[in-house]
Amino acid sequence: MQKSSSSSTLGPGGLDLAQAFFKPIQQTAPPSPTKRHTKISVIGAGNVGMAIAQTILTQDLADELALVDAKPDKLRGEMLDLQHAAAFLPRTRILAANDYAVTTGSDLCIVTAGARQNPGESRLSLLQRNLALFRSIVPPLAKYSPDAFLLIVSNPVDVLTYVAWKLSGFPSNRVIGSGTNLDSSRFRFLIADHLDVNAQDVQAYIVGEHGDSSVALWSSISVGGVPILSFLERQEIAYEKETLEKIHKEVVQSAYEVISLKGYTSWAIGYSVANLARSILRDQRRIHPVSVLAKGFYGISGGDVFLSLPAQLGRSGVLGVTNVHLTEEEGQRLRDSAKTILEVQNQLGL
Amino acid sequence: MQKSSSSSTLGPGGLDLTQAFFKQIQQTAPPSPTKRHTKISVIGAGNVGMAIAQTILTQDLVDVLALVDAKPDKLRGEMLDLQHAAAFLPRTRILADTDYAVTAGSDLCIVTAGARQNPGESRLSLLQRNLALFRSIVPPLAKYSPDAILLIVSNPVDVLTYVAWKLSGFPPNRVIGSGTNLDSSRFRFLIADHLDVNAQDVQAYIVGEHGDSSVALWSSISVGGVPILSFLERQEIAYEKETLEKIHKEVVQSAYEVISLKGYTSWAIGYSVANLSRSILRDQRRIHPVSVLAKGFYGISGGDAFLSLPAQLGRSGVLGVTNVHLTEEEGQKLRDSAKTILEVQSELGI
Repeated sequence: MQKSSSSSTLGPGGLDLAQAFFKPIQQTAPPSPTKRHTKISVIGAGNVGMAIAQTILTQDLADELALVDAKPDKLRGEMLDLQHAAAFLPRTRILAANDYAVTTGSDLCIVTAGARQNPGESRLSLLQRNLALFRSIVPPLAKYSPDAFLLIVSNPVDVLTYVAWKLSGFPSNRVIGSGTNLDSSRFRFLIADHLDVNAQDVQAYIVGEHGDSSVALWSSISVGGVPILSFLERQEIAYEKETLEKIHKEVVQSAYEVISLKGYTSWAIGYSVANLARSILRDQRRIHPVSVLAKGFYGISGGDVFLSLPAQLGRSGVLGVTNVHLTEEEGQRLRDSAKTILEVQNQLGL
Repeated sequence: MQKSSSSSTLGPGGLDLTQAFFKQIQQTAPPSPTKRHTKISVIGAGNVGMAIAQTILTQDLVDVLALVDAKPDKLRGEMLDLQHAAAFLPRTRILADTDYAVTAGSDLCIVTAGARQNPGESRLSLLQRNLALFRSIVPPLAKYSPDAILLIVSNPVDVLTYVAWKLSGFPPNRVIGSGTNLDSSRFRFLIADHLDVNAQDVQAYIVGEHGDSSVALWSSISVGGVPILSFLERQEIAYEKETLEKIHKEVVQSAYEVISLKGYTSWAIGYSVANLSRSILRDQRRIHPVSVLAKGFYGISGGDAFLSLPAQLGRSGVLGVTNVHLTEEEGQKLRDSAKTILEVQSELGI
């Protein structure tokens, strides 16, 4: 096992304890090639990338974690800060380099690199800044880990997941975007907080664009198995469609709210992506609203568009999209969301 | 259970689902007063405070987490960013306020508030900036949680732990500084990386001041039960005392290195403090090098100095200091470390 260059001797004085510290037993053979060595690479050591990396580390999801960033000092500092916690964590190899060779043999590559969303800036306006960046990121990742999954987090995530799919040449089941996994978590938090229940008992999906044209699937929301809209009708609790739209708007706004308050978001997206990583790497076969190739679903046509649908995730990536029933209106909004994304995508010339 | 103010209705449109959502069973009584409701308050929502808060949350150590900071926007943003992860975490109540009343009834109060150590700045030079701050932090904490354990992280941690002890009026077993718990982890990482072993098999303490005059207890280092210095002698591997001192220096420098590379440290101290929190709240009775009232140990006298010694921690705080054997030289270095701290402390007039 390769050591970091400073550790072949202990400290600058060159004390070498390793000789004779361990003695092998008789008749050993080289290690069997058991593929249980999980490696995750995180591209981008900013607030989002590091929150993801640290959560993955705390949740013990990988044997090896590689970090890549353009800024070598920041990168090295972040690597050391994680390594220094060695006494408090299960042993995980943590590597960092500007060179993509460090990502070789990854099971999962998570791309967070990109400009930070400015207060008030819509996700779509980030696109130009991030496209050029992806041309330098995705082809090397694909080259060094031809069997990996790509999980795109950078915004605007739906278009950039399409970009990553094109640039990598990977099959569509191995390229996903974090999409509305987090929006849905925020939605579930709002509902759970109001009802004083555990958010994990709330089934609620926001799908479509991870952005202003996302679609809240009100007709599918249930809490502990109780579908919410039917419940309201049975109890004869009146509600206005406008009220539901305001709640959805609050979810979309909450990301911007966090950005305007603390300058960026990090913790929630960290947990969200670690959660997706676990479902994929541990073959959990759970359903997550993530950005997938949506062409052909719910009448979505007109081009290869990625947007969030409830998708079952496992070790081979996207196993399928659940056959959730959409109302006529929800279906139309989803198709409108797809159109919004395709309009932007078509300007890319990819 | 108190809800956040926005959740009595769902969204700005005032949709109230709670009426009739749950129906109680017959003959219920009010909840029994079982004290299994663990609350931690973190004072300071900067990089260190938030890394600690997030690690505590991920490791599921508490039922209630309260955050306090002077900057209300930053504070609210951080609180929301954690709350939005509700779907991915066990249910934890997360509160935040600039008013210390939010900390009422805490089991553990972790103080990280204070100025950030600038590149090249020694920890002792931060002292003046942090003393005034503690006068506004510690008395309210003590008032709202008179039975809590105080865990001080702000630097210079040894002097500030003494300050917190004085300002709180708490018995010394309930006032601890994070001390050299992290330095020791860095030390163990270096040794483990060199020997290619798990850092948890490395017993190695750095004690004394969390700073330039800390003391590496070389005579007590063992790996898998093998005492290192005896090993070197038995194997007739020559080493110079200077080499050992360089290794220790590398540990002390590594904090400054991370600061100069990424601007601050966060992840490692987050794991370190979460680790201490677990030992205390879960009564783990583990031994940690943390800053405790050291008067009377190893000939330390001349005043009430807090510095790191290997201390057993449990639910009632500091259970005792282990009777580790120090060489004559190590004992002297420890007493010198105490003198350094006392000199600074005596200028405080507390």
